[in-house]
Amino acid sequence: MDLEFALEAQDRQDVGGDRQYDVVVIGGGPAGATAALYAARANLKTLVIDKGLTAGALGLTAKIANYPGVPGEISGAELVARMRRQAESFGATFVQAKVQAVDLEGEVKTIYTNEATYTARAVVIATGAMGRGQRVPGEDRLLGRGVSYCATCDAAFFQGQEVAVVGNDDEAVEEALFLTKFARRVHFVSPTPDVKASQHLREALAQHPAVVLHAGAALREVLGRDRVEAIRIAPRGQPEQVVPVSGAFIYLQGNKPITDFLQGQLPTSETGCLVVDREFRTALPGVFAVGDVLCNHVKQAVVAAAEGAIAAMVAEKELRGRKQLAVDWAK
Amino acid sequence: MALLNATIQQQVREALAGMERPVKLLMFTQGANGVVECAFCAETRALLEEVAALSDKLALEVRDFVADAPLAELHRIDKIPAVAVLGDGPQPKDYGIRLYGIPSGYEFGTLIEDILMVSRGEAELQPQTMDALKRLDAPVHIQVFVTPTCPYCPRAVLLAHKLALASDWITADMVEATEFPHLANKYEVYGVPRTVINETIHIEGAVPEATLVAQLMAARDKPMAQR
Repeated sequence: MDLEFALEAQDRQDVGGDRQYDVVVIGGGPAGATAALYAARANLKTLVIDKGLTAGALGLTAKIANYPGVPGEISGAELVARMRRQAESFGATFVQAKVQAVDLEGEVKTIYTNEATYTARAVVIATGAMGRGQRVPGEDRLLGRGVSYCATCDAAFFQGQEVAVVGNDDEAVEEALFLTKFARRVHFVSPTPDVKASQHLREALAQHPAVVLHAGAALREVLGRDRVEAIRIAPRGQPEQVVPVSGAFIYLQGNKPITDFLQGQLPTSETGCLVVDREFRTALPGVFAVGDVLCNHVKQAVVAAAEGAIAAMVAEKELRGRKQLAVDWAK
Repeated sequence: MALLNATIQQQVREALAGMERPVKLLMFTQGANGVVECAFCAETRALLEEVAALSDKLALEVRDFVADAPLAELHRIDKIPAVAVLGDGPQPKDYGIRLYGIPSGYEFGTLIEDILMVSRGEAELQPQTMDALKRLDAPVHIQVFVTPTCPYCPRAVLLAHKLALASDWITADMVEATEFPHLANKYEVYGVPRTVINETIHIEGAVPEATLVAQLMAARDKPMAQR
């Protein structure tokens, strides 16, 4: 076991310091980045917490040709990157981290991530709608009994064993590579024929002797009585297959609003999306939600960006105790 | 070689500068008279010595698990390395806050938070939680299994430790699962954090305060097999 001692993971990267913000934005897609841009430009100390440039719907989009003011074709990742640079130019800070939980009651909100804990006077939720919906049979029942969503947490329990990682993004590949330090063999089950992770991660995965790649295979079931004993997968154009494993690490995405980190603190609709008023306020004071995490939404980057702008302006108005929005004509 | 580098030492020193009342870390280890210490006992002791040196209000007492067995029993400590975070000074108090296994990785922050919390003497729990805890009338033992690489675990441990601070009926242990494989096997720990209340109730993941308290109150009615 390597021994590490630091108060927060960020301290290991030497970028610690003050973690109190006026506005914390969760999610750095078009809605979140624009909210940050407006909040930072209004001189609010603003932080954006994001899982990664290609973690969201826009970041994964190969081509965008209809974003106003950006003629020609541009990749979604590049468009997001430009929005972020613009927000940063006004003073917003971006950190790459995963939000695990939040405490949104009260005037000071707390945001817990895998890297550090932050506080904010206002929170803008812009987590998008790429969360998983329905679980496969056996998954819930065997959670903590071999089903895991955190290889870095649980890999030590699978020393010398055979495990599966199901997913196709950077996080799934990183976790699979981490597991190779413990497990004898790692079955990587990608729902798509190609793994959508960064090139260096794809190469590392393909070249690793302990990794068996199952490309284009859907996870159907996690099998086992008291513990995970196998997974059942359906490779495209082939009969279903049972792969004996003692661990199933699942990193699948879907099309559901990402709200699990809220742990029920905000009301959701029947379809699981967050409910807001016309100015994107949620039921809790100082908490806003914008973008694809909302209901009845046209899933377009320009709409998400506009919502981010409105929420940031309303947040600014409320934080400064004004009755009217400050329209930014002159700057 | 120091376990804590200069940057971390300074951060811990600054954090501990906010201590109010004195705190004592009571550590149980084994290894006096040239006997080989348990796995990570030496490292845990070295770590605590370094941390204790960073504040005048923080004391460290190292005891031998075998030679000082009566004291270990008094504090209901049954495995090592063990750290009990105690209130010190004119009114010393054992709140039932325990860390079994080395508090490294993400759990190092938990140790520092524990020290600060005991120093304040305030758990900062919700009013509803405090009301519920008043209804306790029997011992409750919470064990939170963790690994040092688990970012979700400190929240689960700290919540359990807050409950221990707030109620004299509650003892709350952090248990580093890889150092105590027999316990990981006994409690079927294959994922962390996993919280075991009174041997009977098992909770996966870091749950909100209200959820844990509801489970804890439910555990009141279930018999406790052993401590």
